[in-house]
Amino acid sequence: MVQSKKQKYLFLAFCLIPTFIMFSIFTLYPLFSGLYYSFFEWSGSSENKEFIGISNYIQLFNDEIIPMTILHDYFLVAAKVLGIMVLALFFAVALTQLKIKEAPFYRIVFFFPNIMSVVVIGILWTFIYNPSLGLVNSGLQFMGLEDWTRPWLGSEKWALPSLVLPSIWAGIGLFMLMLMGGIANVSKSYYEAAEIDGANEWQQFWKVTLPLVWPQIKISILYIVITTLNGSFIIVQIMTGGGPNNSTHVMGSYLYEQAFVQYNFGYGATIGVMILILSLVTVLILQFFMRRERVEY
Amino acid sequence: MLILGVGCSSEEEASSDGDNSEIANDGKVNGELEIQYFVGGYGDSWWKEVIADFKEKYPDVTITEHAGPNINEEMRSRWVSGDPPDVVYIDGAGSSETQMVEDGQLMNLTDWVKDVEVDGTPITESFIVDPAKYDGEIYSLPLVFDTWGTWYDETWFEAEGYEVPTDFESFMSTMGDIQEGEDIAPFVTTGQHPYYFLRGMLYPAFGAAGGDQLLEDVITGKEGAWTSEPVLEVMKKVEQMQKEGYIDKGFGALNHTQSQMNFLLHKNAFIPVGFWLPNEMEKDKPEDFTYGFIPSPMQDAGEPFAVVPDLRPLAIAEEADNPEAAKAFVDFVFTKEYATLFSEHTGAIMNINGVDLSQNENVPDYLIEANAMINDPEQVQIYQKPHPMSAELETPISNALVSLMLGNITAEEFTQQAEEAAAEYRNSK
Repeated sequence: MVQSKKQKYLFLAFCLIPTFIMFSIFTLYPLFSGLYYSFFEWSGSSENKEFIGISNYIQLFNDEIIPMTILHDYFLVAAKVLGIMVLALFFAVALTQLKIKEAPFYRIVFFFPNIMSVVVIGILWTFIYNPSLGLVNSGLQFMGLEDWTRPWLGSEKWALPSLVLPSIWAGIGLFMLMLMGGIANVSKSYYEAAEIDGANEWQQFWKVTLPLVWPQIKISILYIVITTLNGSFIIVQIMTGGGPNNSTHVMGSYLYEQAFVQYNFGYGATIGVMILILSLVTVLILQFFMRRERVEY
Repeated sequence: MLILGVGCSSEEEASSDGDNSEIANDGKVNGELEIQYFVGGYGDSWWKEVIADFKEKYPDVTITEHAGPNINEEMRSRWVSGDPPDVVYIDGAGSSETQMVEDGQLMNLTDWVKDVEVDGTPITESFIVDPAKYDGEIYSLPLVFDTWGTWYDETWFEAEGYEVPTDFESFMSTMGDIQEGEDIAPFVTTGQHPYYFLRGMLYPAFGAAGGDQLLEDVITGKEGAWTSEPVLEVMKKVEQMQKEGYIDKGFGALNHTQSQMNFLLHKNAFIPVGFWLPNEMEKDKPEDFTYGFIPSPMQDAGEPFAVVPDLRPLAIAEEADNPEAAKAFVDFVFTKEYATLFSEHTGAIMNINGVDLSQNENVPDYLIEANAMINDPEQVQIYQKPHPMSAELETPISNALVSLMLGNITAEEFTQQAEEAAAEYRNSK
């Protein structure tokens, strides 16, 4: 018995230690080095570092750009959560519950952007938004809506909203598939029972589908929030570079600019620490508000 | 023969140091030599040729090249860990001469450079533009004389009868004609990198308005420089261009390649870019397009064009493993022969004066014309900035500039914002 317990622990250690080592190297070490560098004034391109205590954090709280970047991040989070979840749910329901013959084809079409690199998506949409050569303005002109044409990514007012569309376009497919999986697991007997009780399709959606796929919706929302707070940097960097005049900077792109353009690596690390904290807090708050008893019929 | 001469000079110089273990007793430079160079619009064919010649001259030197469009990022960890390459050509994204000097990464060349010669003439007398100085000290030698100016399509202008501008007044007038004739915004630049406009249009304008002193003051963020009268006058010109609708409204979103494509496709007529433009866009140029180049016409009528060269320097790492081979290489590169080859390979100019390109069939016409113009003080006045502007100051100024060019703020508001950015920059130093 004792021997068996020992063997069990040895086996567990054998499985966990390599994972822990990898986790320490690729997650914990960068995390703690980021925290460490946030206490230094350092250009990031030389050996010279100067310990400056919490000066970077004081600068962070006095930096006028930071509140703007946080607002931009949460604007993108809200727009993406709303846009992706509504559309993904709509298409998931349509492709699973309506008898559409071409459903497999649509699944592939919607999922296609997910196999494309974000860089490619960014470049593609930059061309689409090009004020003089792009599809958007040309399409509007073709429809006689010339007054609606504008320099989408070149306008301080329109650049940030313009980033939402590619992000949603690129995200729908994955979440649609996740939700389709959830919907497929809902027993048909619930719908039959609801139908017998006189529920129409809309009521079936609200009372049966939605509550039963809630776990998938919750995970999807959390995933969108985390990836947006940490990853919207790429699309911003490619499509606008944070401009015009900081109007699309998110925390990630501002971190990049500080660390690698302005050579304030220590300050960049401080922004990185802030992104981590904000992501954690946001996820915890969301978890709290989205907690809900598991629905079983 | 010229190379040989320079090579000998290098050997003599190296030997005279006396404390150099890399120099063998026979006076030959040897050992390993690492060279880092950015490959952008100018390509790398010139580098390949120079390095091959250097190897031939110094067979005991083994050269390792670190080159590419992302080389500055790729080599960052080497610089951070104190193991840099010996020679570095500072150009491209992710490189900053000012930052490298501030970080103590570059060797002080002040004393050494006094004895270097170009084809028998002291190098200090051979530069078109002198090296940047930091508190009077030289840390790099300006290799590429990149002149930002304004480009247009000569063929198109001739066919449509548009006048090539000679000053700001005629610039506005031509842009008005083009706007009317073509129904386009005549001027484009990249809003994603607003420093193109800053370096390509504003620096020459500041030079013309206030000379080297004003340039130095705005670049170093001297108190009151950005709100001074000449700067405001220049910014009023920019405001005027915006108000007339001459600046492409979509410029804010364009990166440098897109703005250059817009220009080649006649969506716009003028673009301020450096000499790399024709080389970089070689494959995209429409057949009937002919590059025309003028220094940016921001000066008042009756004054010569102003040019503010943007120099791309060659430097030696402070912690170079083989400083003597590095010095030999730097010495080797600066000759009239390689300056001519540079123009042939890249369509740009090396920072060595007295290079005659006028009869060279391998050099593009625009370069021959530009070279002649730049060397004629009656046509063009060259102004020199002390060193590149720090990114810490350039970024906020560039952001405010975009706002002005989009018409969201006035020239007065711009100067105020720039002055505030300068104050913040001074306080951070």
